[in-house]
Amino acid sequence: MSKIKQVWVLAETTAALAQLCAGGRQLGEEVSAIIYGSKEEAEKAIQLGADKIYWLGEVKEESILEDYTETIAELLHKERPQLLLIQPSKRGKLISGRLAAVMGTSVLVDSSELIVADDNVQAKHMVYGGAAFRTEKVLTEITIATINMGVFGALPEDANRQGEIVAVDYVEPGVKIKVIEKKKKEGTEVNLTAAKRVVGIGRGIENEEDIKMIEELAGAMGAEVGCTRPIAEGVNWLPRERYIGVSGVMLKPDLYLALGISGQVQHMVGVDQAKVIVSVNKDKAAPIFKQSDYGLIGDIYKVLPLLIEKFKTQ
Amino acid sequence: MNVVTCYKIVPEEQDIIVQKDRSLSFERAEWKIGQYDLNAIEAGMQVAEAAGGKVSALSIGDKNLENSKLKKAVLSRGPEDLYLVMDEQLGKADCSLTALTLKAAIEKIGNVDVVICGEGSSDLYAQQVGAQLGQLLGAATLNAVSKITPDGDKLIVERTLENDIEILQVPLPACISVTTDINLPRIAGMKEIMAAGKKPVTQWGMPEIGLQELPKSTEIISTLAPEQVERKQIILEGDSEEIVNQLFENILKEL
Repeated sequence: MSKIKQVWVLAETTAALAQLCAGGRQLGEEVSAIIYGSKEEAEKAIQLGADKIYWLGEVKEESILEDYTETIAELLHKERPQLLLIQPSKRGKLISGRLAAVMGTSVLVDSSELIVADDNVQAKHMVYGGAAFRTEKVLTEITIATINMGVFGALPEDANRQGEIVAVDYVEPGVKIKVIEKKKKEGTEVNLTAAKRVVGIGRGIENEEDIKMIEELAGAMGAEVGCTRPIAEGVNWLPRERYIGVSGVMLKPDLYLALGISGQVQHMVGVDQAKVIVSVNKDKAAPIFKQSDYGLIGDIYKVLPLLIEKFKTQ
Repeated sequence: MNVVTCYKIVPEEQDIIVQKDRSLSFERAEWKIGQYDLNAIEAGMQVAEAAGGKVSALSIGDKNLENSKLKKAVLSRGPEDLYLVMDEQLGKADCSLTALTLKAAIEKIGNVDVVICGEGSSDLYAQQVGAQLGQLLGAATLNAVSKITPDGDKLIVERTLENDIEILQVPLPACISVTTDINLPRIAGMKEIMAAGKKPVTQWGMPEIGLQELPKSTEIISTLAPEQVERKQIILEGDSEEIVNQLFENILKEL
């Protein structure tokens, strides 16, 4: 596989930075990281695989990371890297789009695979609500791509790695957005992607009170509870963080137990990498049965209490 | 505050057929308004209802845009008028071309304070057009916006990120991409649908908004359905204790 000369990476979290640096090492000859934060964080990026750090300094309390877009755009114009890898967070999406507009290109978004072929970067990402994957390449000088978590495995930290840190002057943003308040999201953080077992619910659940039963089963199984979009954004019985599917989370659990879920592609794409899929649905014709390892055609309200009892006494 | 809400027409996912060679067929697909764009239209209506001003809807694409049912569907949700930019190459426009075209159209419409986009299109879901468009317009640009409150000649917005919430004061002009849960889009009644047919629709070609054929920034190599993961498909029928027990044993085997 041929290599790209200069790969740049931009991430919000250390975990993502580590993965993108590893990806950069795999695809390119030289890896540069754009770092916001303390000098220690800049040095850490070197240990994670970067050769050169463009250090933007600490983000001021009255600023948001997006205020650095102009600063980064100016760096891109000056240094002309061929590839920029960005974490696919909400901020990453906004910054990548704005940078692409400045550079006259489009972003290869949510790449689940990225390769270098004939000196070109090709990326694969999901389209049409999971019905297909599209492989695409960019025709402009720079390729900007957001990379899904897990596509590249982080390298072990190497305290002996040497690199260069370049402090970058801040370019004032063209438009000033004023921060009134920054706060942490309320409620316990849900991390469905880390769960080994997930119980998913759909419109086959009739009442909000029934969620208690689902939670009881999930508790007995050592599972997290997830749901389809209508449950999170229609009747709002569960928070949005628990919504599995195209515009929600994408999972890869060992076990997915689907209760009252019909199996529409927009939802299934979020779980079809599960090792085992088990489903319960009263509709014999529900498409989910074709995508299940084990299925039961029956009334979830009869099945649930029995399953809870079994798992509790197991 | 004059508002433009952008939307994309997309093929109905359920009508897309995966062919033997794993390519997709759209031949039998109905077209619809992208479902996340319905939130954008509703958000636009609420801004204008709160601050006064006019809401226009805007879309770009190929001749599928002419579908009168879709035009009515957009206008029945409240916008006063509709602008369409139609060109064969816009049917498969990438994010860069889409944003450049929307920018030119918005400048031709003129006097626009707020542009609202959905979180992403429901077919390609790149979530990039709002970001690119805002940058091209030189507007204050934000995504993940879950609440918009007009405040004099500014907007106060709430932005919901992965773990944080930001409350921001945004100057105009602004280009905002809204979350899928910012609102519950209104359902048009018969009266609104009848009235929609009488609202003005302006249709432009690319030369009319000052654009020539633009170079492509991306090239599609393939679009293929994923290879199906083989599933055992052991399906039981019935909800007696005995059957549930069999299901339970099956689950246990896999844990």
